[in-house]
Amino acid sequence: MDIFVTSIGLVSAAGNGIEENLLSLQSGRTGIQQSEPSGLMLGEVLMSNASIVSSYQLPPADYSRTTLLGIVAATEAWGSSRTVDSSLRTGIVSSTSVGGLDRMEAYYFEGKRANHQQTHPMMTHDNGGTTEHIARALGISGHIGTISTACSSGANAIMQGARMILANKLDRVLVGGVDPLAHFNINGFRSLGIYDPAHCRPFDASRSGLNLGEGAAYLVLENAESMKRMASQPICRLTGWNNSTDAYHQTASSANGKGAALAMERALKKADLTPSAIDYLNAHGTGTRNNDLSESMAIRRIFGDQIPPFSSTKAFTGHTLAAAGAIEAVYCVLAIEHGSIFPNLNFATAMEETALIPATRSLNGQRLQHVLSNSFGFGGNCSSLIFSNL
Amino acid sequence: MFVSAYSTISHQASFQRHGFSAKLTALSAPSEVVHPDYASLIPPMYRRRMTDVLKMSIACTMDCLAQVSVEQPGAIIVGTSMGCSTFTQRFLDKIYAARQGGRISPTSFILSTHNSIAGQISLLLGNHNYNMTHTQNSVSFEQGLMDAMLHLKDGLDNVLAGGADEAINALYNIHTRLGVENIHPSSGASFFLLTAEAKASPTVAVIDVESHGLISDAPSLISTFLQTNHLSESEIDLVLYASSFRTQVSELTALFQAEQLFDYQSISGSYLTNSAFAMAYGVDILHQGDFPFRDRQIRRILICNQVIPENIGLILLEAKTG
Repeated sequence: MDIFVTSIGLVSAAGNGIEENLLSLQSGRTGIQQSEPSGLMLGEVLMSNASIVSSYQLPPADYSRTTLLGIVAATEAWGSSRTVDSSLRTGIVSSTSVGGLDRMEAYYFEGKRANHQQTHPMMTHDNGGTTEHIARALGISGHIGTISTACSSGANAIMQGARMILANKLDRVLVGGVDPLAHFNINGFRSLGIYDPAHCRPFDASRSGLNLGEGAAYLVLENAESMKRMASQPICRLTGWNNSTDAYHQTASSANGKGAALAMERALKKADLTPSAIDYLNAHGTGTRNNDLSESMAIRRIFGDQIPPFSSTKAFTGHTLAAAGAIEAVYCVLAIEHGSIFPNLNFATAMEETALIPATRSLNGQRLQHVLSNSFGFGGNCSSLIFSNL
Repeated sequence: MFVSAYSTISHQASFQRHGFSAKLTALSAPSEVVHPDYASLIPPMYRRRMTDVLKMSIACTMDCLAQVSVEQPGAIIVGTSMGCSTFTQRFLDKIYAARQGGRISPTSFILSTHNSIAGQISLLLGNHNYNMTHTQNSVSFEQGLMDAMLHLKDGLDNVLAGGADEAINALYNIHTRLGVENIHPSSGASFFLLTAEAKASPTVAVIDVESHGLISDAPSLISTFLQTNHLSESEIDLVLYASSFRTQVSELTALFQAEQLFDYQSISGSYLTNSAFAMAYGVDILHQGDFPFRDRQIRRILICNQVIPENIGLILLEAKTG
């Protein structure tokens, strides 16, 4: 059974909406800049919470930014005309790592300052609640799910939705992920000492860390029956997926990239493809010493000397955590749709260990049949997705 | 899908005490988790930095694997609503303490992610397979169980699935949303080793599992679920339900007789993945074949979880022999 991607939506530092993101990718324009007052290089979405509430005419509530960024991207993907046809089994599988923590931390710190335990808003920490808000805004009820596997979450939500369609549990499903910048994750990655004070340089020998970002992306997956009934047009197909585990360390990736290699190998098997069939690889490529080396080793292990054109697009958006897998999946869909290979910004010198050289110039007019996307997270969580032309 | 091993840690003596369902009673006062001796279950280097939700989950995992002598599960799937609450709060405290500057230790951050439960299990076992974490508040466990069922249909076997949450003080007010002021916030972990074939006789099968969000008509969802499985309401021997609002009980009494209904939350206490406890409790009842609170033989159990009223989780269990 084919699983079709029929619509996409995205918000990131590289742009609000699909058009702006595509333009940024094709013209090499990064969305990362120095943020005040922290001085950190961040990929911020330049929309305030209040402006989202007002432009999407949301009923007044104490919204998490997770919910709000999610609504922006999910609305673009879902479209305004997609009223729920009750005869089609419809669902949403979203993902987030921050969830309602941005609201929770605000109240928690406020309570601490006032020297009392302000507890009520802790319930906004509930990740699933942010997905319910997004579902409610779009008129989706029934199958509502949320995945939280740190930085691979977005890819896993897409995989989960695809499996629900394949098992004939759903006809169409909105899948994706969202994470906002919050004190919690900004300080978390600071505590790990893996920020690059300048623009991140994925796969470069001199890379020294990541830039954090925020954003959201969603895709509509449909089976043939749903496409017929909704009169939707396919953009491409989702043909391969896998989640495997590195089982090496809670945060660090293994030197040989075992989990990453397993995810790519098993996703290729699922899609019934050989490595040589992959025309573009969108790497996880965070820009940290550890991730990029480990991923490079895994890429070498799978592709040998026949490395497909590849790039990390993290230097456009920053590392958007749970949203990353979904944003990069949408970038893969755009790559197929527009025949584009997006550049790996800020690359100059290949790392000695693997000598991998990513695509550094924007290429258009390519015929891309199969595209692979990698996403890896804490807990050794490794996921690969394969999108294929129609 | 067969339950080939089950293990649960709760506020009562349930761990490694199969047959516990006959002995547990309703929780009346605020209570604590009855922790096993973790020293024999978790290596010291892991145990040292672990909080309750991690220790409980890993102990249940090790217990399940030992029951069936399986070393490597084909997949590891965890449902948790709030994840590692203690580490989350601890890291917030560290951020607040360092608000004027200064270094923060990353330990509580790296273990604060929801998937550190499943991740730590994979690390401890050296398991490279599918590793997933579902977090859909009151139906997180049902989502995980559905995931497990799809994997078994796809040909994976020995799937480990569980649900776990830990209560922390700062979270107590979440219970205002649940409307259960009279039920005390609790913690617990329940894990299962699920297989495509029965490994023993008698055994318990998970016939079906579903969850729905933002619902408006629970009774019709329950009826449809039973119809899909070719069952009528009267063919269910026991409905293990959790609800906080009188209206929901009346919804259930419209479908079932009073003697079919039993509130599992009175035994487990209140937390958002206590339907995993209900499944362990239900499997245990089915292994016994009877249930001291009801004077009837129990062969088929429906777990009906509406801990949050607008969400519903449904799990259908059946005793199988031969």
